[in-house]
Amino acid sequence: MVKHIIPNSLSEALDYMSKDEYKIVSGGTDLMVQKRAWAETPPKFDQNTIYIFNLMDLKYIKKENNKIIIGANYPVEKIKDFKSTPILLKKAIEIMASPALRNLATIAGNIGNASPAGDTLPILYVHDALVKIVSKNNSRIVPINEVILSVRKTCINKDEMIKEIIIPILEFTKTSFVKVGGRKADAISKTSFTGAVNVKDGIVKDIRIAFGAVNVTVVRKKEIENKYKGLSVLELQSRINEILNDYEPFIKPITDQRSNKDYRKQVSLNLLKEFINNL
Amino acid sequence: MTDISKTIKKVDSDEKATGKAVYVSDIKMDGMLYAKTFRSKHQHALIKSIKYPKLEEGYYIIDHNDIKGKNFVKIIFEDMVVFADKKVNYYLEPIALVVGKDKLIIEKIINEIEVEYEVLEPVYGYVNSEINYHFTKGNIERAKMDSEKTIEYTYDTGYQEQLYIEPQGMIGYFEDNQVVLNGSIQCPYYVKNAVVSILGSDDDYVRVIQATVGGAFGGKEEFPSLLACHLALAVDKIKKPIKLIYEREEDMETTTKRHPAKITLKAYTKNNKILGMSSNVAIDGGAYIGLSGVVLSRALIASTGAYTIDNLEVTGDVFLTNTVPNGAFRGFGAPQMLFAVEMFIHHIAKDLNIDPLVLRRQYLAKQGDATSTSGKFRDPIIMNEMLKTILEISDYKKLVKPNLKSKYYEGVGMSWFLHGCGFTGSGEATHIKAVVKLKKTKDGLVHILIAAVDMGQGVKTTMKKIVANILNIPIEKVVYNNPDTNFVPDSGPTVASRTIMIVGGLVARAALKLKKHYRHLDEKTVTETFKQPEYIKWDEENFKGDAYPAYSWGINIVKVEVDKATYQVNLKNVWSIYDVGKAIDEQIILGQADGGTMQGLGYGYLEVMNAVDGKIAQKNVTDYIIPTSVDTPDMETYLMDNPYPLGPYGAKGAGELTLVGGAPAVALAIENAIGKKVYKIPVTPEYIMELMNDDEN
Amino acid sequence: MMKIKFELNNKEYVFNEDPSKRLLDILRNNFSLTGIKEGCGEGECGACAVLINGELINSCLVPLANVHNKKIMTIEGLSETKRGKLIKDSFSKAGAVQCGFCTPGMMMATEALLNKTAHPTVDEIKIGLSGNLCRCTGYNMIIEAVLLASKEGEGLW
Repeated sequence: MVKHIIPNSLSEALDYMSKDEYKIVSGGTDLMVQKRAWAETPPKFDQNTIYIFNLMDLKYIKKENNKIIIGANYPVEKIKDFKSTPILLKKAIEIMASPALRNLATIAGNIGNASPAGDTLPILYVHDALVKIVSKNNSRIVPINEVILSVRKTCINKDEMIKEIIIPILEFTKTSFVKVGGRKADAISKTSFTGAVNVKDGIVKDIRIAFGAVNVTVVRKKEIENKYKGLSVLELQSRINEILNDYEPFIKPITDQRSNKDYRKQVSLNLLKEFINNL
Repeated sequence: MTDISKTIKKVDSDEKATGKAVYVSDIKMDGMLYAKTFRSKHQHALIKSIKYPKLEEGYYIIDHNDIKGKNFVKIIFEDMVVFADKKVNYYLEPIALVVGKDKLIIEKIINEIEVEYEVLEPVYGYVNSEINYHFTKGNIERAKMDSEKTIEYTYDTGYQEQLYIEPQGMIGYFEDNQVVLNGSIQCPYYVKNAVVSILGSDDDYVRVIQATVGGAFGGKEEFPSLLACHLALAVDKIKKPIKLIYEREEDMETTTKRHPAKITLKAYTKNNKILGMSSNVAIDGGAYIGLSGVVLSRALIASTGAYTIDNLEVTGDVFLTNTVPNGAFRGFGAPQMLFAVEMFIHHIAKDLNIDPLVLRRQYLAKQGDATSTSGKFRDPIIMNEMLKTILEISDYKKLVKPNLKSKYYEGVGMSWFLHGCGFTGSGEATHIKAVVKLKKTKDGLVHILIAAVDMGQGVKTTMKKIVANILNIPIEKVVYNNPDTNFVPDSGPTVASRTIMIVGGLVARAALKLKKHYRHLDEKTVTETFKQPEYIKWDEENFKGDAYPAYSWGINIVKVEVDKATYQVNLKNVWSIYDVGKAIDEQIILGQADGGTMQGLGYGYLEVMNAVDGKIAQKNVTDYIIPTSVDTPDMETYLMDNPYPLGPYGAKGAGELTLVGGAPAVALAIENAIGKKVYKIPVTPEYIMELMNDDEN
Repeated sequence: MMKIKFELNNKEYVFNEDPSKRLLDILRNNFSLTGIKEGCGEGECGACAVLINGELINSCLVPLANVHNKKIMTIEGLSETKRGKLIKDSFSKAGAVQCGFCTPGMMMATEALLNKTAHPTVDEIKIGLSGNLCRCTGYNMIIEAVLLASKEGEGLW
């Protein structure tokens, strides 16, 4: 018999997890679908399950030292309503699924699920977000791009769980988030584009670009970004073809029941071009 | 007396809104068992052997061996089997039904069934013709000879899934020596006839009751007969209540959809005149014919859309493929054809360098014109007034102002269309022979006894309204329960935009008859039977004559913007105008218009479904995209009165009309926006990108 | 089996059940609250929407464990309230009900929306209903119904 645990605190949860292997269920938006069974029969949870959605010690959001710190259980709908939440993250949440889903979905779930189409992931990459991962006796802080290893693969060990996500507040003069879904709401990304720049006196001090759903993980390339920092906006725009060529090899989407790889690729690059041209 | 069109509160609104209405999945019975269908793992294969596991007490497997009648679903042809026995013809074709109390044990049994197959090569696409129809009008050979320029285009349409929000389902039980089936169905007597046939029983042995229907759109026309046969065989054997509700994925993968089609149109022209047209239609029927022949007929008859073309040749085929059978869906072949015709008239105009609006007007059908099947448009056609109105309302000429700097391409599209009301040809007179009854009881109530199903389109309200108005009694005095074949006569299926015009017409006549007796008699039942008007003649063999007794008409105008970077389409505005004769309830018709138009628009630009290697690729609500509230544009709809003498208060068909113009209007709007000819629907962003990348288009 | 405690339509229950079971099944089967519908079973259609601590949630995605110590309101509970009756009347007047299968979920979404925004714009209404699929109405009359409820329910939210 598999065990079902509803812990009363984070430490109780971690204690259980130090002894046995558990599947973590938070809002359930992914797992309840994946494990779905015939109506009226219980979901097919074939391993021990621990339900953490009600843990109050993971339900918080705060601003501290120019960082936003979000507890693993804090639903995205509430993150959106928090006044210091970065604008890009608000935008990504606004067109994520539907209101009912947003009341359950969490960023930690997006990370744990490690789907390349996870709506908030490109935003975390662009902000160089950090993830605090805890176990009974340990705690570590890992950059987002080192947490997610591949499709549905993370560095989180069996006895660990995400405690919080730390998002630095950055200064951008212009940002863009475009999610390309099958319709205007309640859709899974075919591709997504995230762009953010900080331009001072016509000079690009900072530029950050990320693509979702076009590779096994979010595509963000700091070496390409660094190449173009310090240029004037006009210079940057004049080198648009070079920029597109730089990113092109990393846009390696697939064809599936929602779209095809040619479309995903061309649109990703179109969005990059549009972003640069409109700076 | 007040105008019949004046809106009243829908009679079933409150019980539905509060969750009290009983849908089949809400029904629980004592000792109820559950059923699940065991299905084929192959698209095309011979069944060499089936090995069932040993069953524990109280668990049953029903398969072709339990069939006493012929192993066919009674529809039109004897081709679709109820349970596959020797051969499977599509992926997930039913082979057996497993019944028992515990769902987990049922699933275990299903997992333990072993079938040995000999896999055969599957057939897909338009290669294996099973039905071919052909007809001509006028002198097409002469038109070809005189022609100076032939314009030819081929159009493709995809699957469309009904996606009623309530999945298919039925509950069956044995009571008073009858097999009783209560389910989400459009056609109680289709189900009854199919079940009587599969059980090889007397008519009296089967009773069919309609539960509240959570949407149908044609999807619950013929498909439930298959499900009912499975369940009835089980009930007949086990004699206990059994519930069979499809899961969403099962529903999407295994139930009927709108036929994909490939349509080639040729226009023979001279001096900017269309001398004649050829129309060649291929529809993908899936693994069995089912209703595909009739769907094809309707498509073929719509070959010239809202226009009169004097010389015509029409051919069409139903192709069988090793995919899930396709079937009825609101519009029934017309949406495919009207998409093609509307694109074609535009493409002809472009090729001849004429304003499309001018060309449309030149060929618009008029009263007295010969129809595509050489019948006659007998009743007034008011499309010119409708056009004038909608051009004004939409401010058509100013709709698009090119803005090169914009993030979007903007475009406007228009569709003109008609829909034949009721069954094709003499179906009403020869096959359906509708009977309706009105029964006045001592308590002063009047019972409407018909087999018509309210599936959301509001017939409970409109039928009651007709009777209450004619008898001049409060609507509360009129009773219209969900049809039950033990009590209601066969007034025909709830399909083909026939319910108000045909059944409602009979109900109105019955009410007039009853009116003479209403004040005097204690109890009185009156019966009315359909009689075809003398002047309607139809030669089924040659597609000659009046294919429909009446036509409803419409115009849609759609404004879109197309994102230059993502090729995504935003619907901005939709203006619609419809002639449905006379609205029995204005709000109900406007509701049909909103919903039907949105479904038609979705078909045109949004809803993608493909069979990949014979399997439906978009098999859940996440992957099959229908419009949400956010995708809905501003919609303005106008109704014009043009009473049809034989309809109740002048009413004609309405349900399907509102869907058929959506796809061409949005496709033409996109074509207008991007400046490239569009040849297929849905016009997805992926397809728009392809068109934009095509320098030759 | 675990003891799970919750408040359902203003009544308290303590309940011994498999905590992985879907709230949807528990409400429909154990409590016969069949106004809650299953349309897709994967959180996309909204027919099974309920309010949990006042927030709109699709009950097909909720393991029973997650409602421990929570307050649940279903369409049956909402229908008994002043607001529920007003929303119902608005739906009737606006012609927002066709087949009715999505309607209870739409009613819940309307309550959740008006609770948050008593006077929503059309765009806010569209977003508020965006997780509730309707195949009959094309949404226009439902949007009208929400506007009407917002207007006629002055002071209720």
